[in-house]
Amino acid sequence: MRKIRVLYLLVMVSVVLAPLAAVARQSGVPPTVKDKAQIEAAVAAQAAPTQQAKPAPAPPAAKKPAAKKAEVKRTEPIVPAYSGIREKTAVIVFYVWLWFSIAVLIYFLRLWIKEADRVYKAKYYEPEESPRKDNPMDPVLGD
Amino acid sequence: MKIDMKKFAAWFDDRLALTPIFKYMTKKEVPQHEHSFWYYTGSSILLFLFIQIITGIMLALYYKPTLEGATDSIGRIMTEIPLGWLVRSVHSWSSTFLIAIVMIHLLAIWFTKSYRKPREATWMTGMMLLVVSMVFGFTGYLLPWDDLSLSATKVGTNIPMAIPVVGKWVTQFLRGGGDVTGDTLTRFYLFHVCILPLVIFAILAVHILLVQKEGMSVPLKDEIAKKKVPALPFWPNFILREVVIWLVLLGILLTISLMFAPSLELTADLMAPAPEGVKPEWYFLFLFQTLKIFPANMGPVTGEFVAVVLILIAVVAIFFLPFIDNKPEGKKGKIIQYLGVVGLIYAIVFSIWSLL
Repeated sequence: MRKIRVLYLLVMVSVVLAPLAAVARQSGVPPTVKDKAQIEAAVAAQAAPTQQAKPAPAPPAAKKPAAKKAEVKRTEPIVPAYSGIREKTAVIVFYVWLWFSIAVLIYFLRLWIKEADRVYKAKYYEPEESPRKDNPMDPVLGD
Repeated sequence: MKIDMKKFAAWFDDRLALTPIFKYMTKKEVPQHEHSFWYYTGSSILLFLFIQIITGIMLALYYKPTLEGATDSIGRIMTEIPLGWLVRSVHSWSSTFLIAIVMIHLLAIWFTKSYRKPREATWMTGMMLLVVSMVFGFTGYLLPWDDLSLSATKVGTNIPMAIPVVGKWVTQFLRGGGDVTGDTLTRFYLFHVCILPLVIFAILAVHILLVQKEGMSVPLKDEIAKKKVPALPFWPNFILREVVIWLVLLGILLTISLMFAPSLELTADLMAPAPEGVKPEWYFLFLFQTLKIFPANMGPVTGEFVAVVLILIAVVAIFFLPFIDNKPEGKKGKIIQYLGVVGLIYAIVFSIWSLL
């Protein structure tokens, strides 16, 4: 039971630390989708004058966006990030809920383990050794 | 319409023969002693394997295993798909946890000498599972198709070249040609999502069957002394303790996945030179460093050849360890135990050295 107690303590500490961790993640906000789109737009804007200087025939209107997209080459690594405040809130709420439910579940599991061990030690499910099984005078056996 | 649940359950029981399994579970006992804690590592591996399957399927819904689409599809998963970055992070960290726990599990068995008769085959299937897990990691590392993964795969697939006779063929087979190309990516994806899962399930089934057949081992000293070790029922006492461990591990995995989600580097350029500081995954670092310390030439053969042959000998020796350590209670058994400690220190020191 000592190991279980240590684990329980660990979980409780994590419950306290979890919101702090989530906030810490928020503070170092990496570029989001919006930022990535901005970077791509900036790269495209830089490339634009060079493209204009070339007297190339204009591609069909329908294919224009796809061709422009293909020209944009990513120059920065993509850093994982929340796509918006909605996702950020959802993740933090889920995170806190997760640790809280783990703590609650472990609390109940501890009780269940204690009870299961008690039942096992009491040999509750083992076949009963009746002191009267060989007694011919026993009213039940006598029948 | 009222459904008779008892009839429903009886139908299932009749078709799937569940009663003998439940009876077995209630009768199965787990020995309780000073090393019992290591029993929990076995089931933790199954937990992480389950997480890998779920997150892997989720990623496969959007991943494109082509030269043009691989990096972009992962970029899309990370930026456009709701919580895609988190799923990728959980998949990546879960693989690390999985391999780490497989290693801890095998080391615990090594140090407690649980591989001794009659559990030789259990050890051998466990070793196979470790190798398959590492191949899983190796094939998965290339899938983002960024600069680092391409260079690491070039280095990794070049190593078998030093194996005598079959080396060149193995490298060509892994790469799908002379060099790492789009064919390698498709091939690695196929291995990662199709062939390796089949292999791991087959070996795992045999491993679990053997564990059930032979039961859990007891400490060597208790076995020699013929001491009756106290036991705990598998259901519910042991399973409940396992659930506690699973919950804690799940929480830790999600915390780490949230705080240290992996980023996506620039798309790999086949014509570009290898970037600085190419490193394989952490579990290959000590092997990588071992290859580096050997000189280019050692007499008539290359240093890489000598290193690869030595590594292969070590792997084969570990695979057949139960037969080499046939008297675990004797002097040879103690030497093998010390060798395990030396090997562990070697792996840790060389991994750290590789990172410096």
